[in-house]
Amino acid sequence: MLEQLDTLLAQLDALRARALVELASIDTSAALDEWDTRYLGRNKGELKNLSAIMPRLSKEERPVVGQRINAVKADLEHQLTAKRDLLEQRELLQALEQERLDVTLPGRTLPVGHSNPLSQVIWEVTRIFADMGFHTVQGPEVETDYYNFQALNLPADHPARDMQDTFWVVPGEILLRTQTSPMQIRTMEQMRPPVRVVVPGKVYRYEAIDASHEAMFHQIEGLLVDEHCTMSDLKGCLERFAREMFGEKRRVRFRGSYFPFTEPSAEVDIDCPFCEGAGCRTCKYTGWIEVLGSGMVDPRVLRQVGYDPAKYRGFAFGMGVERIAMLKYGVNEIRLFSGNDLRFLRQF
Amino acid sequence: MRVPLSWLKEYVDITMSPEKLAHTLTMAGLEVETIDYIGATWGEKIITAQITHLEKVPKSDHLNYTHVNTGHGELGVVCGAPNIQLGDKVPLALVGAQVGDITIGESKKMGYVSQGMLCSPRELGMGNDHGGIYILDADTPLGERLSDILGEVVLDFSIKAHRGDLSSVLGIAREVAALTKQELRIPRSVLHERGTPTSEMARVTVEAPDLCPRYAARIVSNIQLGPSPSWMGRRLLAAGMRPINNVVDITNYVMLEFGQPLHGFDYNLIRQKHIVVRRAHDGEMLTTLDDMKRKLTPDMLLITDPEGPTAIAGVMGGAISEVNTATTTVLLEAANFNAVSVRRTSTALGLRTDASSRFEKGLDPELALAGANRAAQLLVELAGGMVNPGVIDVYPKPVKPRTIAFATGEVEWLTGMKVTQGEVIDALRALHFEVATDADELGAKMLVTIPTYRSDIEEGADLVEEVLRMIGYDTLPATIPTGPLPEPQRESWFDREQEIRTRLVGAGLNEIITYTMTSRARMSNLLAQLNASSARFLLQSGNAPAHGLPAQDVQIPSDKTIAPFEVRTIPAVVLANPLTSDLEAMRLTLMSGLLETVQENSKRVKAGLRFFEIGRRYLPPEDIHKQPDERRSVGIALSGPTEISWVPELGRAVDFYDLKGVVETLLNGLHIARHRFTPAQHPTFHPGRCALIETVRFSTDGQEIFSPIGVIGEVHPLVQQRYDLPHRAYLCELDIELLYAAVPMRLTYRPISRHQELTRDLAIVVAEQVAAQAISDVIVNNGGELLRSVTLFDIYTGEPIPIGKKNLTYSLVYQAADRTLTDAEANALQEKIIRALYDAHGATLR
Repeated sequence: MLEQLDTLLAQLDALRARALVELASIDTSAALDEWDTRYLGRNKGELKNLSAIMPRLSKEERPVVGQRINAVKADLEHQLTAKRDLLEQRELLQALEQERLDVTLPGRTLPVGHSNPLSQVIWEVTRIFADMGFHTVQGPEVETDYYNFQALNLPADHPARDMQDTFWVVPGEILLRTQTSPMQIRTMEQMRPPVRVVVPGKVYRYEAIDASHEAMFHQIEGLLVDEHCTMSDLKGCLERFAREMFGEKRRVRFRGSYFPFTEPSAEVDIDCPFCEGAGCRTCKYTGWIEVLGSGMVDPRVLRQVGYDPAKYRGFAFGMGVERIAMLKYGVNEIRLFSGNDLRFLRQF
Repeated sequence: MRVPLSWLKEYVDITMSPEKLAHTLTMAGLEVETIDYIGATWGEKIITAQITHLEKVPKSDHLNYTHVNTGHGELGVVCGAPNIQLGDKVPLALVGAQVGDITIGESKKMGYVSQGMLCSPRELGMGNDHGGIYILDADTPLGERLSDILGEVVLDFSIKAHRGDLSSVLGIAREVAALTKQELRIPRSVLHERGTPTSEMARVTVEAPDLCPRYAARIVSNIQLGPSPSWMGRRLLAAGMRPINNVVDITNYVMLEFGQPLHGFDYNLIRQKHIVVRRAHDGEMLTTLDDMKRKLTPDMLLITDPEGPTAIAGVMGGAISEVNTATTTVLLEAANFNAVSVRRTSTALGLRTDASSRFEKGLDPELALAGANRAAQLLVELAGGMVNPGVIDVYPKPVKPRTIAFATGEVEWLTGMKVTQGEVIDALRALHFEVATDADELGAKMLVTIPTYRSDIEEGADLVEEVLRMIGYDTLPATIPTGPLPEPQRESWFDREQEIRTRLVGAGLNEIITYTMTSRARMSNLLAQLNASSARFLLQSGNAPAHGLPAQDVQIPSDKTIAPFEVRTIPAVVLANPLTSDLEAMRLTLMSGLLETVQENSKRVKAGLRFFEIGRRYLPPEDIHKQPDERRSVGIALSGPTEISWVPELGRAVDFYDLKGVVETLLNGLHIARHRFTPAQHPTFHPGRCALIETVRFSTDGQEIFSPIGVIGEVHPLVQQRYDLPHRAYLCELDIELLYAAVPMRLTYRPISRHQELTRDLAIVVAEQVAAQAISDVIVNNGGELLRSVTLFDIYTGEPIPIGKKNLTYSLVYQAADRTLTDAEANALQEKIIRALYDAHGATLR
């Protein structure tokens, strides 16, 4: 029987060698399953067929053959698992390859909205002053002559009214406000000091519309009244504003001016952010750009609202939002703001 | 106000450059807008020369051939100007000179060689006169650079409304002297009076002293009318006035110099030699110097003689007494008129003159005599005149200088800048304010006497500004306010508008800001049918801000109601002086501006027409003398595809539910859970695609009521056509204050139930016209507290659903807060809902 044993063992080795050669060339799961059935199949697998001889073997031969069969089986099973993993990976890869996308195609974007550049400037300016304790309030655009002019030390027939050509609803009585300053009066009437407000809003001037003039535009008014403030505080506040708005290096220049409702009055310039003060077209080669008007609240105005000018002091300022936006974004035509052209709006 | 620097230098020494001077004055509040350099471009090749030979060029109708002496030799020049004469001194542009845009070259004209060009004032950039060559003064040296003779620097000042005293060369010189610490030289008039005393030649009666505080008159005889000397003409030109004749020029010159407007009457044309200053009679007429016949009203002040008006006080003289070639005797008027009166008169007549603009800023009455004397002196010097003795001066209440008590501390109190009393006194005295200090109270109060020409200085704050101007605004320190902060702000509409803005930008909309001024014609484009009943939708009755009306309230107009409709009958806040008829009224709605924006942009872009505007509607008050109701509103417009995309869904044109989704997103974001959309009729919208947006408010008895806060819909095809829109458009408008009335005051956490939820699907079949809202109302009302959510997830029509019916499928979630719900409980509720749906809408289960 020993010869037979040797033959048997040789057959097992041959079987393993043949199976492995076949396995190496298999590249589909179906062929692998077939291979599995052929060699390792529980009923008619070749290994099973060979092991059918076991009962005919001697007691001594059995463990030798049995061990060999188990070793071959374990080896084949191990190789099968490895192959199966390999094939599965490859097939997954192939399946995924089928799903390849052109990742350079544009995505399904959500529509991107844009808030108006003027709203953005108003928001930014009011936040800067909010940090300094100023509330943001709004007032009526269709105003009375009293609030827009008289209470602001601009009685009827005051020549300074020429500075502000007016749209009238009822001549001499009801008008479109020419400035946000009437809210100085309304605010002081409604509250007692300390007062700190900024007032953004639309204003109207009877003016022919061109590249630098609009009949409707936006202003931001500022007002602070308490028992402590001085014109130096006004300068400090505006300097801080200029630096936050136009850059850390900005310098602020006060020069004499005239507004009927402030005394002393000052025009406020910043050094040109485009040329850093060296002189360019934007600043008309002066190095300075006028950004707002300001001053200490005129005692006549304080008296008008029942504040004692010997006790209370205040400062006020007013700026054009379009002008600030033009400087900030380098816009050269004021009419673009009321044009509402998408190609313009989408840039902000 | 244009001031030639050479003129300014007559009254004050100026050593700094014109640019430095302009900067110094600008910083002190006297703004120099521009500096004009006359002659800056003339260079070395435009020189003075004299005509030494003059002959007509044969066969030419206008050319002359001249020899000109340049001081270094003679040149031949051909010239076409008619005014040159032998011996004239003229500006000569040599070969190579740059005159305007052209370079002078040697040329040959009709056989004559021309080695240069004689120049007219226009060619020299000295005004618009091109009628002839500029003739120089006879004593002009030859061969000099013209710029050395005629060059001038002109400063153009912007004079602020409160500083009428600066509308003169002397006034500006005074400011320059103060700011540069120089002496001011005021011209003194020395008059040799001869002949008949003025008082015997004329009489002045002021019948309206309230409007004429002072009226001074002088008479100058033996006048020889003629041109002014060239220096005066040059100064007038540089200052922006046109030389006319010596009498008129002198009055203008003195007005520019002193700021006192003067008027010269031809004495012989004053009837009865009696000047009466009075208000106009109703219906009186006067032809003014500009040959316009003016209709006068009783609030206008006139200069008259017993037979009628001769001038409009402070505005313009009349033709009837105008100085003319026959004039030999001039009556000079130097008066002071009420600022308001002059302003009203000049406004009413639409006639703004150099005189009126000076009077309306308020003029110092003390100027009158100085002005009259100065003009008289110049009439003697330049027009051969003889000054009659004495002056008529009606000046019943001479102005007294104001005195103000002032303390050094006021400067620091208002400006935060430390100054010494010495600095304050120096500053004020430099401005010719008299300062008296009380020796006993060193450093305390000062008494400051204000010159009469500074009527703008009334109290301490005004003096603080003067001190600041003199010391320099640039010395102000910069500090941060240290005072207490105001009370916290309770509600901020600004913040609420910003919240809406942020949400709508997040929804992919672009914020527009349109003109609030529009016209009723433009707004009526929003109405599919133009008639009174649809027009009222633009503003609603009274101040009710609600939009639209419930569907059943609207009747289809019968033929009778379609009458011609006038848009001007639409009530609105209408402007008395609109810029154009397109901007005649304040908007009643944001919707027309939105559609106009869609229209404009649709010409330029193919996608992304997604806009919103936050702004006000202006609802007219019942009483026109009151302010209107300004309703804070937000409007939204969508039209066409959101973008051009390879993704079909993104490239599709928007529909009603896109806009509704935006509105719902806004409402949900604001936590307005209870809202609904009720079908409505509105003349702007498609009758089947319009809804009122309603939120819950509570009635006085605590009952929930839905009330409208806005309207939404698809734009009516007729309206769409009118705006020429390529795609259907969707519009909505919401009242922001009503919107926020529905926002919960505060949010309260509701514990998340740990108990299991039971989900039941509900598929029903109902008639197609039953609104989804009606079905979900029944479900919600019958589901009670245990019904947590109702979600519609499918709508189906078609086989096997019968025609005219639709199948709706909902997912209902039941859950209790305190226990696990049993199937039986959920099933019972489900049964109840199914029964109620059948009862209410005949709904059957699918």
